[in-house]
Amino acid sequence: MSGLSLHKKIEENAGLLIFGILFVSAIGGLVQILPILNQDSLSTATENTRVYSAVELTGRDIYIREGCSVCHSQQVRPLIAEVERYGAYSRAGEFVYDRPFLWGSKRTGPDLHRVGGKFSDDWHRIHLIDPRSVVEASIMPAYPWLADRDASDTGNISAKLSALRILGHPYSDEDIDNADADLQGIKEIDALIAYLQMLGTGYSEGDSS
Amino acid sequence: MADLPSGFWSGWIIVLTLVSLAGVAWLSISIYFSKDAETQADHEPVWDTDLKEGNNAPPMWWFWMLFAAMIFSLIYLMFFPGLGSYSGLLNWSQGSRVADSYANYEATFADSRQVISDASLEELQNDLDLMATAERIFTRECSPCHGPDGRGQAAMFPNLHDIDWQWGGTPEQIEQSIRQGRNAIMISWQQMLGNDLDAVTEYVSLLSEGNNQSHAGKAGYDQNCVVCHGPTGDGNQLLGAPRLNDDTWLYGGDIDSIRMSLTNGRFGVMPAFDQRLDDVQIKLLVALLAR
Repeated sequence: MSGLSLHKKIEENAGLLIFGILFVSAIGGLVQILPILNQDSLSTATENTRVYSAVELTGRDIYIREGCSVCHSQQVRPLIAEVERYGAYSRAGEFVYDRPFLWGSKRTGPDLHRVGGKFSDDWHRIHLIDPRSVVEASIMPAYPWLADRDASDTGNISAKLSALRILGHPYSDEDIDNADADLQGIKEIDALIAYLQMLGTGYSEGDSS
Repeated sequence: MADLPSGFWSGWIIVLTLVSLAGVAWLSISIYFSKDAETQADHEPVWDTDLKEGNNAPPMWWFWMLFAAMIFSLIYLMFFPGLGSYSGLLNWSQGSRVADSYANYEATFADSRQVISDASLEELQNDLDLMATAERIFTRECSPCHGPDGRGQAAMFPNLHDIDWQWGGTPEQIEQSIRQGRNAIMISWQQMLGNDLDAVTEYVSLLSEGNNQSHAGKAGYDQNCVVCHGPTGDGNQLLGAPRLNDDTWLYGGDIDSIRMSLTNGRFGVMPAFDQRLDDVQIKLLVALLAR
C-alpha cells in the first residue's frame, strides 16, 4: 500500500481520521511523559529532602502569594557558572514535596534555590522590610506588611497538611494536630524566612543522585 | 537525575521513537515519489468541466527539509542520550558536562591558584591585582551584610575595617569565622535583671569612661554580664562577646539601643561559607580582611 492510497482511505473515513489524529498527536506524550511517570528515581526524595513543616509551608504560601517566583527562579542549572554562583545544581528529587514546584522561568533577581543558610535570619528580616537598607543597588520591592500580619491568618494550615497527606506526603497525626499551634505568635515574615532558610538544603555535595 | 529510563520503558521509548521516525520517512517518501500519483489524479471525479480533486505534493524543498531533519534526529540519537537507556556514543550527561567544565577550569587556572596557595598573606596583600580580585569576591559574597565597603550596616552587621573584632582579628580567627560561621548568643536579660535593667543599661553606656565603682548598675552587671563581657567590659573574643568599654558599638551605643539589647537579647549570625567558597577564595578574603 502506498502513502497515497492510505491517504485516500483515511480521507474517506472520518472515524479512521479521528483515530489517526489522536494516535499521531499522542506519540510525543507516550514517549516523553508516560515513561517519566513510571521512573521512580525522578520522584524519590534525595537523602536530606523532607516535607515542609507547618511554618515553612505557610512561608511557601506567602512566597507564592507575594509573587516571589515571578522574579526569582528556584533552579540552579548544571552549568559551571551557575554552580559557582549559587551552589550545587538542582536535583529532581529535591522537589518531590513541592506542589507545585516553583522553578520559575525569569530571573529579575538571583536564583533562590540554594539561598538557605546563606544569610542570617536578621538579614532576611531587614532585607524584606527594606531591601535598600542592606543592598544599596537592589531593585527588589519592599514587603513591610509581612512584619505586621499574623502567620496564622494565611489559611487553614492543618487542612493544608491533611490535603498533602492524602497526596502522599508523610505528615504524622501529630504534625497536623500541632500545625495551628506552631503558627501562633509568629508573623508572616518569620514564616517566610523559615521557608527561605530551608530552601535547597535537601542536597549537599556527595549525596547520591 | 542523570539516570536514564530502564527496563520495559526503555524498550518502549526506543521502539516508539524509531517506529514513528520510520513511519514519517515512509509516508513522506511514498507521497513524494509515488508512481501512481499522476494516474490517480486522472481518476478523480471532475465537476463543472474542470473542477477536480487532486493530490499535489508540497514543493520539493519542503521534502528536503523534512529529510534533513530526520537525518539529524538519527545522528543526534546516535551521539546523545535519547533512546531509552542508551547513553549515546559521546556518553554525555548533565553531570559530566559540569565535571568537564571544572576539569577544564582546573587545567586553565591550576598554576595561578597554586601561586596563591603558596604565597604568604603578606605577599598576597602586596599584590594589588589579587587584592582587587579579593574585593570582587567580597562584593559578591560579603557585601549584602557587611556593606559594599565592608564598614558594616543596619546597626547589626559588624564593621570589618575598625580595630574591633568581635570574634578575633588574627588571620586564623578570620578564616575560622568565614569557614564555620559564628553564632553569637546573648539571651534576653529582662527577667534576670528585673528592676535593675535601667541601671545596668546606664552602667554599660558609661563603661568607656572607666571608674564607675559607685554606680547603681554595677552590682547587676557584676552578677550577670561579667562572665562574657569581663569585669571592665573588655569583651571575650572566644564567645563573640563585644568589648563594651570603647565607643564602637555593634548594635548602637545610645541608651535605647543598649536597653533593647538587654531586653530582647542579640543573636548575631555569621553564616558558614565553607561550602560556598573554595580554599583559594577564602585565603584571598582572609588576606584582604587581615590587611
